[in-house]
Amino acid sequence: MARITAGVATSHIPALGAASDLGKTGEDYWKPAFAGYDWTRKWEAEQKPDVVILVYNDHASAFDMKIIPTFAIGCAEEFQPADEGWGPRKVPTVIGHPDLAWHIAQSLILDEFDMTIINEMDVDHGLTVPLTMVFGECEAWPCKVIPLAVNVVTYPPPTGNRCWALGEAIARAVGSFDEDLNVQVWGTGGMSHQLQGPRAGLINKEWDNRFLDRLEGDTQELRHIPHIEYLRETGSEGIEMVMWLIMRGALGRSTRTLHRHYHVPASNTAVGHIVLEPVP
Amino acid sequence: MSAPTDIHAYLDELEDIPGTRVFTAARARQGYQLNQFAMSLMKAENRERWKADERAYLDGWKLSEEQKQAVLDRDYNRLLDLGGNIYFLAKVFSTDGKSFLQAVSTMSGMSLEDYSAMMIAGGRSPEGLRSKKEQQ
Repeated sequence: MARITAGVATSHIPALGAASDLGKTGEDYWKPAFAGYDWTRKWEAEQKPDVVILVYNDHASAFDMKIIPTFAIGCAEEFQPADEGWGPRKVPTVIGHPDLAWHIAQSLILDEFDMTIINEMDVDHGLTVPLTMVFGECEAWPCKVIPLAVNVVTYPPPTGNRCWALGEAIARAVGSFDEDLNVQVWGTGGMSHQLQGPRAGLINKEWDNRFLDRLEGDTQELRHIPHIEYLRETGSEGIEMVMWLIMRGALGRSTRTLHRHYHVPASNTAVGHIVLEPVP
Repeated sequence: MSAPTDIHAYLDELEDIPGTRVFTAARARQGYQLNQFAMSLMKAENRERWKADERAYLDGWKLSEEQKQAVLDRDYNRLLDLGGNIYFLAKVFSTDGKSFLQAVSTMSGMSLEDYSAMMIAGGRSPEGLRSKKEQQ
């Protein structure tokens, strides 16, 4: 049987991808942001996950205003890094796992989550930056990836509670897949940031850290945070953190923290990163 | 399922945040053509046409005159008011060779140097910036 062995959350700030691509990670400005991933890179080399279900949002790359799916799952054989306006990132092609992705899609729909199924899609920094942060520079990504895109751009995004429940349903879907696979679920985006208007540059270290605190253990408080609280406390783009709750929901009743990292700033944003394991 | 949400109260609250335009359905409708115009700059051949003659390129889109002028002026706060979304507008400033940090600082009313220094010092505090009603 396939099993979910760990959850990872990380910011997906495009400037981190650019810093890596341009060989700037040793510079004083970027060093502390990347240092918090050293532990994770070693840990992943031991874990050797077969598949990562990578929850992220598209930033006007694969989806424009024509079609806005709330939850979309990538079932393709592979996904190319998107050209976001300055040429695609020179990172490996993302290899999918269509058998597991289709199994999850079917299972979720029968479990009353009305998923959008994507058979062809390029993936932008929202998906490729987390891969870079966790695996570093690679010739090929060391595992297969199932992209799960969430609308957090056009309001309303899904509620935190719905995201958590989707995570629970993903865990049921993975648990009923016959092949023996080591599966991780990653939640990406955040933490506090606002990229628009006179309030741009907002960072809320206290709130972000209380959010990280409550990913651990058996508390379910996070699923009940309303959108307005993310907006007021963490900036207009802090809403991306609802995607972390899909990861948390997939880990089941209780979790233990294996690693945690927080750094301000990377460009306009607070970098947050946590590695969790489920506690049965 | 959570308890049903009062959509009117939900939408009212989204307008209560100082210095922020939440990308609501109303803004998404107002800015549809503006955001799709910006999206078109994802293609290299469109970027060439755009750079050759911005005004002519804009005239190929069903934008209001106000929207066109705000694009030409790179007035991002105005563009947000006219239905623009930052991830779409990013295609415009990326084509200009500007980073998120550079473009975002122009909306904050600060110089790039002051804005960058604020971020390195830990960012803008939410204190006093949570609610328009609270500010009154």
